[in-house]
Amino acid sequence: MTVSAPETESKPAIQKAIRCVDCDVHQSGPDRDAMLKHVPKAWKDRFQSGGHVGHLGLHNPVGVTRQDCKDRSGKHGACSPIGLNDCLMEPYGIDRVILTGGIYSQGGIHPDADWADILCRAYNDALLETWIPQDDRMHMAIAVTTRDAELGAAEVRRLGAHPKVAGAIISSACTAPLGQRQFHPLYAACSEMGLPLMMHPGAEGCGVSAAPTAAGFPTRYIEWHTGIIQVFQAHLTSMVCEGVFQKFPKLKVVLVEGGISWIVPLMWRLDKNWKALRSTVPWLDRKPSEVIRDHVYLTTQPIEEPDNHEHLVQLFNMFDAKKMLLFASDFPHWDGDTPQFALRGFDADFKHHVMAQNAIDLFGLE
Amino acid sequence: MVANREKTKVEVAKVSELPPGQSKIITVGRREVGVYNVGGQYRAVLNICPHELAPVCKGKVVGTRVPSKPNEYKWGRDGEILQCPWHGWEFDLKDGKSLHEPHKCHLKTYEIQVEQETVFLIV
Repeated sequence: MTVSAPETESKPAIQKAIRCVDCDVHQSGPDRDAMLKHVPKAWKDRFQSGGHVGHLGLHNPVGVTRQDCKDRSGKHGACSPIGLNDCLMEPYGIDRVILTGGIYSQGGIHPDADWADILCRAYNDALLETWIPQDDRMHMAIAVTTRDAELGAAEVRRLGAHPKVAGAIISSACTAPLGQRQFHPLYAACSEMGLPLMMHPGAEGCGVSAAPTAAGFPTRYIEWHTGIIQVFQAHLTSMVCEGVFQKFPKLKVVLVEGGISWIVPLMWRLDKNWKALRSTVPWLDRKPSEVIRDHVYLTTQPIEEPDNHEHLVQLFNMFDAKKMLLFASDFPHWDGDTPQFALRGFDADFKHHVMAQNAIDLFGLE
Repeated sequence: MVANREKTKVEVAKVSELPPGQSKIITVGRREVGVYNVGGQYRAVLNICPHELAPVCKGKVVGTRVPSKPNEYKWGRDGEILQCPWHGWEFDLKDGKSLHEPHKCHLKTYEIQVEQETVFLIV
């Protein structure tokens, strides 16, 4: 793929020693014009008329996007690389970011798989063209569709070798538990390209996705938001039990913004059931918790906040948190965390791994 | 700025410049304090949320749904609640206390004095 870089007069200096990598930054770009250029002619009218799906209509009085972050010129902090520098990276000591955007939701919930793919591809090309050349500290997760895993796989193969592409991101809101075999072509491509697969919530219950909780559609945003962890539990259980990690031993999966503390009792329960029901999943040659430990990462945000912070420290001792956690701010969303807050009370070695080293190793950052 | 023993008296605004519903953020040394006119009463709070240290005074002054029975919704406290711009935590401008855990979570508050049509902050 060839891209023409925009004028980049004064790129921010790049810090060699990486102290903090932010693995989930929802920049508000590229803008629609930048994307339109990458939409094939036969789809341009559809793009210009909108064509996105997905809104449950649940009310968040806080507003999903923070309004207090303005860059040096007064624009919203998520709308440009300079904004991310001014409102996120500089104030909180973040040296690298993985841009995650938001188009991945369409990749999981749009009824039309071709259109979902077109949106993802136009977004990926436009972000590579307009944002990435402006700041060497920014990497991106390419958005890929799960509506047709062959299309998602083709996109992973098309862009996966680009040095600024750190991972592929899919929507946790989708049509079925993600371990099932219709999704495997995508995992084959990620595995082949060495690209971590990131899974992000946000559109649960919208478009053609399954219900946002195991019991159905909740009434309110607070219930919906709390219930997102159920979707992640279902996907992870499915991926482990379907043998995804036996079939694709190089595959790494990052559960972004899906909660953390549930991982411990889920691993206990799955291990216990495996001992009795192993013969139903005979390809699982070791404890499910060991498979999870070797293949799965979780981002820190929204960090759980028990009244007694020591309880969180204890909980992180119950699984290999030092290896499996990755810092993420979720900037600029209403439920974001700063690195200083998320990792308070943990020792320096733990902080270094979660804030930087795990992401450096997983995404191959320099 | 007039020294008053260990406390400092800082001019905020003329009374006419800070009518009900208006607010102003004042910088005193390294601190920022939000001064609010809540229905004719002046209130002052430190511009730091106790949760993640967000600039709470950049949040909106709102009303809220006051406690009620299940499936009843009652709006109240219009213009009296400061909502943090990050996570939406609500604070009562009257005393700085949070609505969710008033006994343990609150904003730092400051005294306000009005002398000769001028609003002063005591920090």
